[in-house]
Amino acid sequence: MPVSVWGAMNNPRIVVTGAGVISAIGTGLADFTTALWAGKSGIAASERLGGSAAGDIGDFNPAPWLGNKGVRILDRGTRLLCIASQMALAETRLLQDPAGNGDPDLGMFSGTMFGGIHSITAFDWVGQTDGPSLVSPMEFPNTVINAPAGQAAIKHKLRAVNSTVCCGLSSGLYAIDNAAWFLRFGRAKYLLAGGMEEVCEESALGFSTMGLASPTGNVQPFGTARNGTAPGEGSAMWMLETEETAKGRGMLPLFEVLGFGGGHDALGLTYNRHAEGATAAIQQALEMSAISADAIACVIASANGSPVGDEMEARALRNVFGDRISTIPVCAPKASLGEAMGASGAMAAVIAGLALDKQELPPTAGFSGTDTGLRLSAMPQAFAGEYALINAFSCDGNNAALVIRKWTN
Amino acid sequence: MAYQRVVITGIGVISPIASGKDEFWKELLAGKSGVRPVQSFDSTAYAAHIGGEVPGFDPSAHVKKLPFDSMGRASQLAIGAARMALLDSGIDLDSIAPRRAGVAMGTTSGEPIYVEQYNDISKASSPADVPAEVFARYPCHVMPAHVASEFGLHGSASMIPNACAAGNFAIGHAFDLLRTGRADFMVAGGADAFSRIPYLGFARLGAIAPVKCQPFDKNRKGMVPAEGAGMLTLETLQQAKARGAKIYAEILGYGVTCDAHHMTSAHSQGEGGVRAMVAAMKEAGVNTADIGYISAHGTGTPTNDRIESIAAHTLFGERAPLVPMSSIKSMLGHTMGAASAIEAIACALAVQTGWIPPTINHEEPDPDCGLDIVPNVCRKVDPRVVLNNAYAFGGNNACLCVGRYE
Repeated sequence: MPVSVWGAMNNPRIVVTGAGVISAIGTGLADFTTALWAGKSGIAASERLGGSAAGDIGDFNPAPWLGNKGVRILDRGTRLLCIASQMALAETRLLQDPAGNGDPDLGMFSGTMFGGIHSITAFDWVGQTDGPSLVSPMEFPNTVINAPAGQAAIKHKLRAVNSTVCCGLSSGLYAIDNAAWFLRFGRAKYLLAGGMEEVCEESALGFSTMGLASPTGNVQPFGTARNGTAPGEGSAMWMLETEETAKGRGMLPLFEVLGFGGGHDALGLTYNRHAEGATAAIQQALEMSAISADAIACVIASANGSPVGDEMEARALRNVFGDRISTIPVCAPKASLGEAMGASGAMAAVIAGLALDKQELPPTAGFSGTDTGLRLSAMPQAFAGEYALINAFSCDGNNAALVIRKWTN
Repeated sequence: MAYQRVVITGIGVISPIASGKDEFWKELLAGKSGVRPVQSFDSTAYAAHIGGEVPGFDPSAHVKKLPFDSMGRASQLAIGAARMALLDSGIDLDSIAPRRAGVAMGTTSGEPIYVEQYNDISKASSPADVPAEVFARYPCHVMPAHVASEFGLHGSASMIPNACAAGNFAIGHAFDLLRTGRADFMVAGGADAFSRIPYLGFARLGAIAPVKCQPFDKNRKGMVPAEGAGMLTLETLQQAKARGAKIYAEILGYGVTCDAHHMTSAHSQGEGGVRAMVAAMKEAGVNTADIGYISAHGTGTPTNDRIESIAAHTLFGERAPLVPMSSIKSMLGHTMGAASAIEAIACALAVQTGWIPPTINHEEPDPDCGLDIVPNVCRKVDPRVVLNNAYAFGGNNACLCVGRYE
């Protein structure tokens, strides 16, 4: 980002005023935080995946968040997105009157990777086995990739932009950056931003053939014996608004969204073990944040246990931080959550916020040593600083990084 | 210093009526129809039998660096159109700073062929016999990843799969990156491949026309599913001038809104559609008196066209019948995630050449519409500023404002 351009524009500060999360280790920020800091892992044999390991939420009842009306038609991923969104809306006092028209300045950016693939496959399966005339037209809307976000807009009456962003495992961070820019442009006042993914047999198949799945189900990000990851699911949504909007309605800003870096290695559908794109994404995020690498106090890593992907990330971090990397606390939360794909970047962002607030990183669950030179721990790691780096590097070559800052006036 | 100006410098299109900018524009102005009986699957059991398929598409002629058979048809179409746009732009990608050239795409269905394969093999034998790569090649982020990899674009790479408005969202996103100095060059647009899955869905909704697509006609009977790809190269005006590029048109702004009302049907008064147009014009710094042409979403379904007409009347008031508004879906069918990108191409060529394409198959005016839909014959109106409307499942509305470069 050339400073001359960036500095000249109307440049409101983009702040986070609330969050919602549903995950395999806990639902709601309080339970999620407790479980994460206790080093709990949500990765276990998944009944829905025939016993394969996954960060599967299992059965959940959406009624406490969504009521009963109009919920039956929503597929699993859509329910997850609607639940996380409901929490963020409630926390930020933006839940809309069910009898009203909704707010034309309230919208959503949601990242996902496989979207509603289970619904899509089931829809086609009925057409091919029972015949076209027995397919329910009611199910068709669930087959478009932006259906979960569209349903969330109807459920929560979100009338500003409603956009789905698919950038593989980087989707959640791309969604947050998109939302931040819409606010800078003044196209909306309040935007939910994050991601969603569901565990299902179809995405798990894709996942295993991308070479991502651990044969043992033992997910050890950056671990010396790492041999792959496990799919995860859930949704994490932030509420973003400008400082002025937040303060104008009496909301306390929690964090500031600063710089974002995103780009592609363009080598086909693969990680780039030389880490050029990942390195550039972090550097771009630092540059746009107008801070040096020295200011970063902690890192929420993208590492999911993939031998190649984790090595790439470690290399990128060494490239950016040099020798100091051995002293910067790093957390790899996918040890607890699995690889929640389109949601994982958003979950990492929420965790970064929690960590800045506590000035302490959560443990990397089950951590028992690394050959990467990074400072990970099976225990919480205290730090002192204002800036956190969040990475979301994708197996298709897309790389995203985001810097957030603890709120200071 | 204000935002940078953003211009269109290259056009690539693969469509049911023609492929390549010149042939496409010639056929579009001539009112050619690309709607034919469905070829790519047996439609006997469906309630409809016509579609807009791209005839004779040879992926090996377009996908050269990556193995063409390692990806689905939507990626192949996107790469084909992107290659045309890059060639047309005359850009030397080596002259762009690394990581300053990116890609932004839209789609409705991504690569549904892999879902079809999975179910076909599961039905014939068992899921265990499904080739390993099937679901790895499915998720729609592979489309920008393929385009980035084929052409060595290392900048921002996004898929914004906002269904039938996705092309406008993608072009808008590229516009945002360029005008704020986050990129110097973007390849942007949309692509969708013909698939039995959306076809089945539209057939079950009773939305597909039996014979032809007749947007805004009193006797219109529905939309026609189609496929294609529209890709544009966008860059800052500063860079385009510096390298002496030809400039088709300028992107002036866009507006996006959500009805938050119904998944498949727009708000009955077109409320979100009006807001999208207003937002686009506001961002562009123009008003209704400046608008010389509207590229309609115009699917040909009774509901869409009625609501879109209401939106136009609401916004333009007494002037509404004086603003030509045509639907090229009458010729191409509905190319889904590619539709608004291809329509943006038509808008760019309209402001560049002065000609606007017709709405073909027009027989009887619908008093509920009451607009100048440029019936059957193209016209020279020299529009200076045009709007490109797109509405999508999920209640999404996206309007792109394109202006003559002056």
